[in-house]
Amino acid sequence: MSYYFAIIGTQDNPIFEYEFGTSKQGGDGIARFPEQARHMNQFIVHSSLDIVEEVQWGGGQMYLKCIDRFYNNYVSCFITGGNVKFLLLHAPSQPAVANTTRASTSIAANPTSPQIEEAIKQFFTEVYENWVKTIMSPFYQVNMEVKSPVFRARVAAAGKKYL
Amino acid sequence: MTSPSNASAFEPADPPGSSSLRLPKLRGSLDTQSMSSSISTLPYRNSNASVSSLFASTSTPTGSRSVSPSGTGTPSRAMAGSVFGGLPGEGNQLSPADRPEDPRSLITQAFVPHIAVHTSADTKELVKDKGFNGGLWELLRPFGERVQGKVTVRDSIGAGKTWEDFAVRFVELGDGLEIPEAVPGSRKSAEGRTAAANGTKPLPDSVLAQRMRTGGDIAPIETLVDRHLSYAEQFPSMSGEEFLNLKDAHLRSPDIPSPFYTLYLRRLLSGIPLAPHETFSHPVACVIAISSRNTNPIETLRNLYDESSRGAKRLPLWVNNEYLRYYVLVHDEERDDITKSMTLFEQMKRHFGLHCHLLRLRSSECVATDDDSIRLPRCEWLAAPEEITEIQTRELEGDIEDSYPCIYESDTTAIKTFIREMVTQSIIPSMERCVATWNDQVASRRRGISGRFISMSKKWAFGTSSRSSSNGPTSSNSNYDALQGFYRPDAPEAVMRKLADYAFMLRDWKLAYSTFDLLRTDFNNDKAWKYHAAANEMAAVSQLMMPQAISSKVRSETIDQMLETSSYSYITRCGATYGALRSLALGMELLRLRGGSATEDAARWGTRLLEYKVVGVVGDALFKERVSACYASKKGAGTEHWGSRTRKSALWSILAADAWLTLGKIQQSKLRVEEANGKYSALTHKDSLSHFTHANDFLESLQREVQLALYPESGIEGPGQVEDLIDTSIGEESEAFVSRPHRRSVMGQVAPLANLETAPLHGALLGGEDETPRADQFE
Repeated sequence: MSYYFAIIGTQDNPIFEYEFGTSKQGGDGIARFPEQARHMNQFIVHSSLDIVEEVQWGGGQMYLKCIDRFYNNYVSCFITGGNVKFLLLHAPSQPAVANTTRASTSIAANPTSPQIEEAIKQFFTEVYENWVKTIMSPFYQVNMEVKSPVFRARVAAAGKKYL
Repeated sequence: MTSPSNASAFEPADPPGSSSLRLPKLRGSLDTQSMSSSISTLPYRNSNASVSSLFASTSTPTGSRSVSPSGTGTPSRAMAGSVFGGLPGEGNQLSPADRPEDPRSLITQAFVPHIAVHTSADTKELVKDKGFNGGLWELLRPFGERVQGKVTVRDSIGAGKTWEDFAVRFVELGDGLEIPEAVPGSRKSAEGRTAAANGTKPLPDSVLAQRMRTGGDIAPIETLVDRHLSYAEQFPSMSGEEFLNLKDAHLRSPDIPSPFYTLYLRRLLSGIPLAPHETFSHPVACVIAISSRNTNPIETLRNLYDESSRGAKRLPLWVNNEYLRYYVLVHDEERDDITKSMTLFEQMKRHFGLHCHLLRLRSSECVATDDDSIRLPRCEWLAAPEEITEIQTRELEGDIEDSYPCIYESDTTAIKTFIREMVTQSIIPSMERCVATWNDQVASRRRGISGRFISMSKKWAFGTSSRSSSNGPTSSNSNYDALQGFYRPDAPEAVMRKLADYAFMLRDWKLAYSTFDLLRTDFNNDKAWKYHAAANEMAAVSQLMMPQAISSKVRSETIDQMLETSSYSYITRCGATYGALRSLALGMELLRLRGGSATEDAARWGTRLLEYKVVGVVGDALFKERVSACYASKKGAGTEHWGSRTRKSALWSILAADAWLTLGKIQQSKLRVEEANGKYSALTHKDSLSHFTHANDFLESLQREVQLALYPESGIEGPGQVEDLIDTSIGEESEAFVSRPHRRSVMGQVAPLANLETAPLHGALLGGEDETPRADQFE
């Protein structure tokens, strides 16, 4: 499982991007996105904003769960009060070999299963806490890119912990 | 050097007689023709007219077809716009389908009654004298694609409905039997194997020709569309021309697909193979024809009838043999005496009843220089292999003259009258009668009354099947012959399938849907998987063809289910990719038309289609375009267009552009990139993608590659051009637009290239302008 995490500002601009892999099930925490299709992550996340804009009016929740799918890539979303979107793209088992796709349909690797949803929720919540702390910095302005290494490290830790 | 005027060469000179027949399309193209030829007077040299006219279906600007001077195009579009743009989340009422690209009109034109033609040797000779080697069906076929005048059809409740575009398809008796799909990799399809076995005819030369006329295979369709595409690449001034003509509104409208996609769908639906699991290509009637040259006419007619029902031309076991026979006496106007033919015709009427016609034709060959000669209209529903062969032969001939077969005007009138009379007086009434009878006797037994009755009808059916099938064990309680993979034509399931197909062909969607719906469960119980898939497919299609609104809940319960089952059965259980492609493509297009949240479903099915990998490379790119169009058809609410899918649509446009570029179809790629840019700039935050570095890099490199492929000289300018691209002012753009159609003539100079670079952005601007007022209209 590989993850691409992006924080999108109010003007659809990326504020923070981070790629990582799973640390569960003996994963080494390194993202395994194919190099030639790296741009696709951004395209997918960008196009998912269409769905976010529709789903966000559906309920009062901040965590919108898995909102979109593009081939084998799933996008989960968490929207903050300031209309900043956390988008997590998760792609189970990158090389689409015949037997691994079979494995991906099993419950453990099913990206829409309740366990995964819960794990992502915890991840988002932890990131959100750190996010609020980060943007409380007096030097931060809306839609400014977040470059803080501390924040990056915390996101990485959250990823390692939950995903 | 090609000039924009070249476009006029690609259009066939329209046969004068037929322009009155198919008003909107041909007149529209005539208009563009005259317009473009007045723009420039340069003669064209480098295109072979006879070949290029074959590509007219894709090289004619799409939009111009729908714009007819009589104004039918405009009001319908306005109406369509107001309807499709309704509130999201509702299945909307649909406007009537009147444009040739509309999937609904495509479907009504594709699933039409097939009429087999079986003629005596002397008739064949007569038609050969006229210059048609294929026989009478070849002469009749183009005219069957639009029956002259209005045709009234009564539905199951007895309400009459009038259609202007009714069509029938003429085939030679036995056409469509060879199923190419059955040859490779059909590990599970017993149906396919039997069909192939039955199709092996003792006439090897005609088998080849018949095979040409059989569709049902994806590979030739891909080849054909690829050919059309390469032609469009070869004469790219066409797209400039198209751009010029369509600079206004509808170029960006997702309702008008690219001509190549229309061609793809049309070829997908033409030449439906004769198969047990669906009866669309089973003959509804058979024209049995003799000519006045025959010495022993009544005897010959009897022989022909026997041949078609028992003899060598007998269709396979699973085809219901009780179709209508229509007897035709072809009178040779030039050699034979009309009084003699009249007496013979009277005699025929006495022997065979009312289903007779006297067709008066001239037997000499018509040449283009003759007084009342008109060109035989081009057949639109050729199967893909047939069209490929046609293109190849034309190219080999290398003939500068456009050598279309001609025919006397008096003959066309006679043929049109004949077809009209046959269709309105014999075929439709007999189909209506069949529908009524079957509905009464078979289907209504099943409808409404529950399980007890079903089991009874099963028992009764079991009696018939055990009586007739001494060969092969049938499973205890079903009429399905699992070993050979078909139902016998007298089994209630087969009759009901035929009933549903007849109802579908007569456009009684409601009856068709309810019958298909009944059949779904039957076929499922019998594990007749191909039948099951086909019934699900057509149930979904007929439900979507009904003009009523479908709520999203019903949609997800019925249509999604049916499409899912159908594609799964086709692919996994039968290995029939053609069927899967057809059901998903039709489902996608029809869902897209409904607007609102249905477009989302449409896009999902399009994506599914791509995931199944049933299409080849060309189809892949085309369907990516369509997914983009599906997303684009979803209109947002409010000033911010909430709920629209602009970004998704743009992403799929980019994917399509990438696919086209890989295939080397630069023109297509360019169009898609422009489309994507237009969509991105229509967003509230126009430059949002530029902050995504990887994605932006990719988009820019795509643009650069397209530019490089189009104008290799622009590479000299180096990386500086990217900046040009980004900050172009509006003032420059109109200038760039004017320079566009002439770009070939200015190629090689460096100066205008900067202008050319702005072209995509300009297109984008147009798209944006187009989008906004339209949206305002419906809100």
